[in-house]
Amino acid sequence: MGFFVTTLTFIVIGIIACLCTRVCCNKGPSANLFHLTLVITATVCCWMMWAIVYLAQMNPLIVPILSEGE
Amino acid sequence: MGEGGSLPTMDLMRSEPMQLARIIIPMESAHRTISYLGDLGLFQFKDLNSGKSPFQRTFATQIKRCGEMARKLRFFKVQMMKAGLLTLRSAYGSEISLDELEVKLGELEAELIEMNTNTEKLQRAYNELLEYKLVLQKAGDFFHHAQSSATAQQRESEEHHLVEGSMDSPLLLEQEMTTDISKQVKLGYVSGLVPRDKSMAFERILFRTTRGNVFLKQNVVEEHVVDPVQGEKVEKNVFVVFYSGERAKNKVLKICDAFGANRYPFTDDIGKRYQMITEVSGKLSELKTTIDVGTLHWSSAVQAIANQFEQWNNLVKKEKSIYHTLNALSFDVTKKCLVAEGWCPVFATTQIQKALQRATVDSNSQVGAIFEVLHTKESPPTYFRTNKFTSAFQEIVDAYGVAKYQEANPGLFTIVTFPFLFAVMFGDWGHGICLFLATLFLILREKKYSSQKLGDIMEMAFGGRYVIIMMSIFSIYTGFIYNEFFSVPFELFGRSAYDCRDPSCRDATTIGMIKVRETYPFGVDPIWHGTRSELPFLNSLKMKMSILLGVAQMNLGIVLSYFNAKFFQNDINIWYQFIPQMIFLNSLFGYLSLLIIVKWCTGSQADLYHVMIYMFLSPTDDLGENQLFWGQKYLQILLLLLALVAVPWMLIPKPILLKKQHEERHRGQAYAPLQSLDENIDSDSEYKSHDGHEEFEFSEVLVHQLIHTIEFVLGSVSNTASYLRLWALSLAHSELSSVFYEKVLLLAWGFDNVVILVIGIIVFIFATVGVLLVMETLSAFLHALRLHWVEFQNKFYEGDGYKFSPFSFALVSEEEED
Repeated sequence: MGFFVTTLTFIVIGIIACLCTRVCCNKGPSANLFHLTLVITATVCCWMMWAIVYLAQMNPLIVPILSEGE
Repeated sequence: MGEGGSLPTMDLMRSEPMQLARIIIPMESAHRTISYLGDLGLFQFKDLNSGKSPFQRTFATQIKRCGEMARKLRFFKVQMMKAGLLTLRSAYGSEISLDELEVKLGELEAELIEMNTNTEKLQRAYNELLEYKLVLQKAGDFFHHAQSSATAQQRESEEHHLVEGSMDSPLLLEQEMTTDISKQVKLGYVSGLVPRDKSMAFERILFRTTRGNVFLKQNVVEEHVVDPVQGEKVEKNVFVVFYSGERAKNKVLKICDAFGANRYPFTDDIGKRYQMITEVSGKLSELKTTIDVGTLHWSSAVQAIANQFEQWNNLVKKEKSIYHTLNALSFDVTKKCLVAEGWCPVFATTQIQKALQRATVDSNSQVGAIFEVLHTKESPPTYFRTNKFTSAFQEIVDAYGVAKYQEANPGLFTIVTFPFLFAVMFGDWGHGICLFLATLFLILREKKYSSQKLGDIMEMAFGGRYVIIMMSIFSIYTGFIYNEFFSVPFELFGRSAYDCRDPSCRDATTIGMIKVRETYPFGVDPIWHGTRSELPFLNSLKMKMSILLGVAQMNLGIVLSYFNAKFFQNDINIWYQFIPQMIFLNSLFGYLSLLIIVKWCTGSQADLYHVMIYMFLSPTDDLGENQLFWGQKYLQILLLLLALVAVPWMLIPKPILLKKQHEERHRGQAYAPLQSLDENIDSDSEYKSHDGHEEFEFSEVLVHQLIHTIEFVLGSVSNTASYLRLWALSLAHSELSSVFYEKVLLLAWGFDNVVILVIGIIVFIFATVGVLLVMETLSAFLHALRLHWVEFQNKFYEGDGYKFSPFSFALVSEEEED
């Protein structure tokens, strides 16, 4: 799975999470906006973490050198 | 205060709108009104009598009454603890008014005090009788002994005497006889009990003061005796002192008193002695039954109190708090009513008015209470409506500083970013699962634990249970990303991207493997664990990750300052603070982030340290092999110029514009608007006091802005570097975890011995729980907290507000739990 496919997956998961929170706890517009903010922040944080680690491994400058006796 | 404008409101983003309100309450319904407002818990009373001392206030006597009742309740609590009873948390029970309660408490107290003194007296008498019995028994032994040996000696000396007397002259015999008679002085004796540790000193002093003319015989009492005066068990000796003469008698008596030796009368007549013993035994058993009955009566009285203690305690506390609040209201004698002023949230207006109406009806008052909103320039308290989930996060933010009224609340983002940054430093899905299970247990037992009194540490852990569970969920996620399960990687998301260069794998330990397949799709490739180049790779990855995350969070902070400026309609802050700050931070560290990403995407070998440093030192130089993209040199020169321009942009225009604003505002002061005739005198004087003539010192404002600019400019470097702690702590965590796994568990496994394996497992568990789950959690918690409080919040947060503390019975009862 490439970079963009997984990014798209994250976006889709984020949207599904937003819809779930809207369905489960619908407590008025200000509360909804609050939940939306939390879900979006969480999705963005998780995506950033994954993207950083993925990008770092795409074109590596260092390769694994096994230690003796493995 | 400006409004949000086009942006819709969001829970927890800004403080609830608050208003200053005045309530005018007629006297008859005052007590009931305050009681209902206390139940509601949404009104913060201002102290209108702050100038008066506590004794000058109107309801001081009522408070004294409540204080007396509280003292009586504390006395009851001591009695209950003596009886070993626990207070039952029963809220039910008959309704009782304060006056009735006062009378009842007084009666019960008198009763208990009487019972206590009686019991004490009886107990003392009982102990004295016990000691007397001991004296009778032990001293009797002396006399018995002494008498038998004395008769034996006398018989001997008589025989001796008779034998000798036949040889002597009759005259000497007569003389001896007469002297014998005159020598028959009467011996007195004193008997009693002396504490064993004082017995040697007792003996010595008796000997010295009477010049050796007394005879003391002591006998040890085996078991401990309860001393009647002190009521404690002491080791004692029975003594009998024989003396001759009045003077010696007085000395002996005084010494006995000085040593606390209790004296008891004694007869050497055996018959009388036995009679006394039976009498004393009889009295003892009588006293015992009396004492037992008394104790039973006492404990039933205390039990009856214990059943209602909690209810009475709450009532007294409630009444005391009501009177304290009533004291804060100003007493309008002419209008026969009380005036209350205070803050309340705007949404609570209807609820408060309903409570006032209910109080009017319930107290059968003709006049209703009046609720009016006042306008003021005072800064209101900050109030966030939090539930049990968000309150822990809000408390974390409030610990640093309470938000100024209606400024953006960092707590909103803290709910997600705090557990996330913790997880970046903690990433291990095995440890995450352990934490998750532990807090899940706390959350499932929530109801039980919230009503119990827990120890300090448990209290903190329980209070933060939602924070910790969020932390553990994110830790499981980052654990999958770092691919560490108690430091062991797994190939969960596909095959590893690396393989040997050739089928024999000769070069795997020298030159290394190569990337043959697609990048490992989710997280760090499992091949890396245990390789020799693991640390260089992970260090590079984690340091760059820390910088990227840090720059992102700092940008979020600056963007929040934009929203603040927009909300308060402070255009100066937008143009001359937000924009230069964004430009400065992003042209330096945003550019660094861009370089990192480009380097990763292209796989170039450019040295980023070199690029950044020479961007400043010699920007016009050719980049050579450090070139990452076309036009980099020109872009760098442009960014450097932008950053240089941003600094005076932050520093100079704002003070000048503030000065111009101030001059404009005060130029029009000669034309003050006419006060409207509807406002009464009180609010008039308030308005004047709030609208003070603001001093404006240009030099002060300039210095303030200079400090702010320097702080931002230097801070942008230091704060970015500060985020490297994300790398440092995650490295420490994974290294510790790997050491415990390899050097403890694998080592124990290698011995092939069950005992060593079991010991190894136990050590591994203790080390993991103690070091990794407790110490590392606290450490990562602390560092994530610091990153939020300093690096994130100093971009936009002022935090100089004060918290809304309404008059609420729930809060009052929580306070006095200690």
